[in-house]
Amino acid sequence: MSSLKRITKELNDLGRDPPTSCSAGPVGDDVYHWQASIMGPPDSPYAGGVFFLSIHFPTDYPFKPPKISFTTKIYHPNINANGNICLDILKDQWSPALTISKVLLSICSLLTDANPDDPLVPEIAHLYKTDRAKYEATAREWTKKYAI
Amino acid sequence: MSTDNSRIIFFIIILLFFLSSPSGDGVTSQYEFIQLETLKSQLKYEYEVFRELSYDQNFRNITGLKLAYHDSKENPNLNATYPLPHKDYSSWKPNENYMMLPQDIIDKVQDNIWNRKQTLFPPNITSNLYGKINLTDNNKYTKIKMPIANFFDPPESFQDEKPADGEHYLAVDERGDAGNHGELHNVSWSYGIVDVSIQHLDSVENSLSLSPASISTGESQLGEDDSHWKILHLNVNFYNREETEKHSLSTKGIYDIWTGRILIMSQSAKFHSLFAFPHYLANTEKEFNQVKRLIEKYWNATNYAESLTMANLQHLSDEANTKCEYFGFLQLEPWDQFTPDQIRMIDEELKWPLGRPINRSNLPPIRLHNALLYSPDCGLSLELEDVHGPRYELQVRTIRIHLLLGVLLFLGQIYLLLCQMNFTNTPSSVNKISYWCLFMMNLVDGCLAMLYFLASPLLQELYLPLCISAFACFILASVFEIRYMISVYASQVNEQGVGILTLLRGGSEANTVVNRVIPDEASISSSLYGRFFFTLIVSIFILLSSLIWPKEIRTIFEYSVLVVLNSYWVPQICRNAVKGSDPRRRRQNGYQSLQNGDTNCIPLLWSFIIGTSVLRLIPIVYVFTYPSNVFRHDIDVRFAVLLSLWMLFQLLILYSQDLLGSRWFLPQHVIPDGYHYHRPVPQSILMEYGSQNNCFVCPICMVDVPVYVEETEETHKIDAQSYMITPCSHIFHTECLENWMSYKLQCPVCRAPLPPL
Repeated sequence: MSSLKRITKELNDLGRDPPTSCSAGPVGDDVYHWQASIMGPPDSPYAGGVFFLSIHFPTDYPFKPPKISFTTKIYHPNINANGNICLDILKDQWSPALTISKVLLSICSLLTDANPDDPLVPEIAHLYKTDRAKYEATAREWTKKYAI
Repeated sequence: MSTDNSRIIFFIIILLFFLSSPSGDGVTSQYEFIQLETLKSQLKYEYEVFRELSYDQNFRNITGLKLAYHDSKENPNLNATYPLPHKDYSSWKPNENYMMLPQDIIDKVQDNIWNRKQTLFPPNITSNLYGKINLTDNNKYTKIKMPIANFFDPPESFQDEKPADGEHYLAVDERGDAGNHGELHNVSWSYGIVDVSIQHLDSVENSLSLSPASISTGESQLGEDDSHWKILHLNVNFYNREETEKHSLSTKGIYDIWTGRILIMSQSAKFHSLFAFPHYLANTEKEFNQVKRLIEKYWNATNYAESLTMANLQHLSDEANTKCEYFGFLQLEPWDQFTPDQIRMIDEELKWPLGRPINRSNLPPIRLHNALLYSPDCGLSLELEDVHGPRYELQVRTIRIHLLLGVLLFLGQIYLLLCQMNFTNTPSSVNKISYWCLFMMNLVDGCLAMLYFLASPLLQELYLPLCISAFACFILASVFEIRYMISVYASQVNEQGVGILTLLRGGSEANTVVNRVIPDEASISSSLYGRFFFTLIVSIFILLSSLIWPKEIRTIFEYSVLVVLNSYWVPQICRNAVKGSDPRRRRQNGYQSLQNGDTNCIPLLWSFIIGTSVLRLIPIVYVFTYPSNVFRHDIDVRFAVLLSLWMLFQLLILYSQDLLGSRWFLPQHVIPDGYHYHRPVPQSILMEYGSQNNCFVCPICMVDVPVYVEETEETHKIDAQSYMITPCSHIFHTECLENWMSYKLQCPVCRAPLPPL
């Protein structure tokens, strides 16, 4: 059970040296199922919100990427209504040297800088590119509604 | 609104296009209308003349039949006019005074060709025959002048309203000139090949089989003489072995079932041969009347004159202008080992297979006992030799069996490929397989699938088996092989742009290459599929156009393509040499702990290698060595043996690579060492990245890795096999990195490409 060892190790590291804007830990006794939270980055329309995510580790972790999805509703071009995240390091660009804290930081930076050229929700991406102000207003509204 | 308008305009244009297209007979102008009407009235007039003929009367004013051989022999410049002075029109005898044939040809036909013995002959002789043809006489006979009516010629200018009257002669003496009429007239070789395809007319012309009378009586419309005389449609092609000069003849013939005789006469604007059949075929007045009635029935059933179209007219004119006229006298070999009942049963069974007890494999072929071709206007005489072929239904059956055997070969290949894919299921092992090796196999299979697809609508009887073959082949090529190629390609992407020497050194310099992003499978597969179809279309184009090349070039092309495409192990041999591996002996002794049980140095299964070679060689060897193969390919045992030896040679080299190490044939000094993952860690890296007490943290399991450092005494007890150092100087546990390398050959830390194990 090398995956168990590695996950425990990551959990210890998170406890010893927690990242500034995120936190993560297992749900109940199951080490393979975690819950994480991200503070909305201050320079983004998500500022002030707290977003929850669920993390499922595959048994062959770290050779396969963990499955991460938002449980809080969020208005973002790369995150859809089910909370699925379109991020390359969670798919084919996964590397075993990545850790949960690095991935959560990547998600934070995704919130700041969306990637409208590879969207999961094309309508939001279109709005993002054409009417940035309206997009930010909606995102702020959703954050207020669901994440505060 | 504007789109609506354009739609209506488009519709109107389509409508106009349909309305303005010529009617059924293809006439598009007044000139052509007159041409066609003239031809029809001429034929009708000649038909009336023909109807009044009796057995003891000579031909009168019928195109092509105005001169007898004797007339031209007496006066070679005599023009074909009617009536000729001093010509006897009131009697008919089968000799050169009345016939268009010289006396010795007439004698030969009567004595040697047509035997007139009433034995048993098969009533249905639909078949494709194949044999040899020899030129017996070329300049011995006087050429009979045959005029072409001027109305056949196309208009010279747009002002022409009416075709010209009268007739003209082709320049007989200049016929040796190939350039004269665009096609060769004279037969200039003495030995050649002939193929004859025979069809019964009721299966050719729909008007005959579809007329209500034939449905109601359940018999052919050609009536009560059906069991004695049959009208055939024959295509005779003869050409020399080099295929530089071809002659063809596509016309009607009459088959005398009782005696096995077939008479064929070419048809063109200068020879209306239909009206000559009774005189040339019959020996008695009774036979004459039967044949004459047959022709009359044929005339009426097909509505011969009225159903002529411009295309027919142009065809007749082309035939007359470019080809010699021919008489053909064919004698079938009897089927006298059967009783009439048996022959009828065979015939029925072939037509509607119900499982009647006939021995298909023992059915005799349709064989010409003797045959002779004579051209009255070119003075040629040719003899056919050893012409035979199976009944068409049997031929179709044989091809079907061959196709199904071919499908079995494809299925075998699919099975072998699946085994092979199972065997190499990690990027590290797939990496050792040559992409080009698979590419060559894939090209052959793709081309085959394409050819099957193209052939399936052309050969109606074989539509289903051809489709099955095409499907099996296409599945093999475009699903299994391409899938495998994609995974091979994906595992080798990071080697692109890296020189062969670097690869030979095992990619130790690969880190100097810019870290490229490895594309995902979707983009690789789309680019490979695109490449696959592009190469396929180009090669099919080349292949099909090679069919019309001269035979000499075609043969060279065929042989070289076969040799090149059967060298598919060569890229694999090169790949093995590039990747390098140790001989089997050393591998088995020293490296067992490390090589996790993989004792095959070659990434391919031996069953796959041998099975593929055999499966792919079988059809080629069959075509080149089996005398009566379906494709009528020339026999060349030497080439088949050489090709098999070449294949065997490739296999031997592969085996020797497996046995002696894949680089045994390269001199020692050009072989740089492959990359070694297990080596001492330089002090500098330890200083830069290492943690305390000579350890690194393995980025995969996040546990410390103790390493061997040359300069530090206390680390010397560490086993260098327990960790790996990548070309980009990152350090992992052996177990961790090997595990990751089975997913991707990429450094987990910096994404640099990794040389495979």
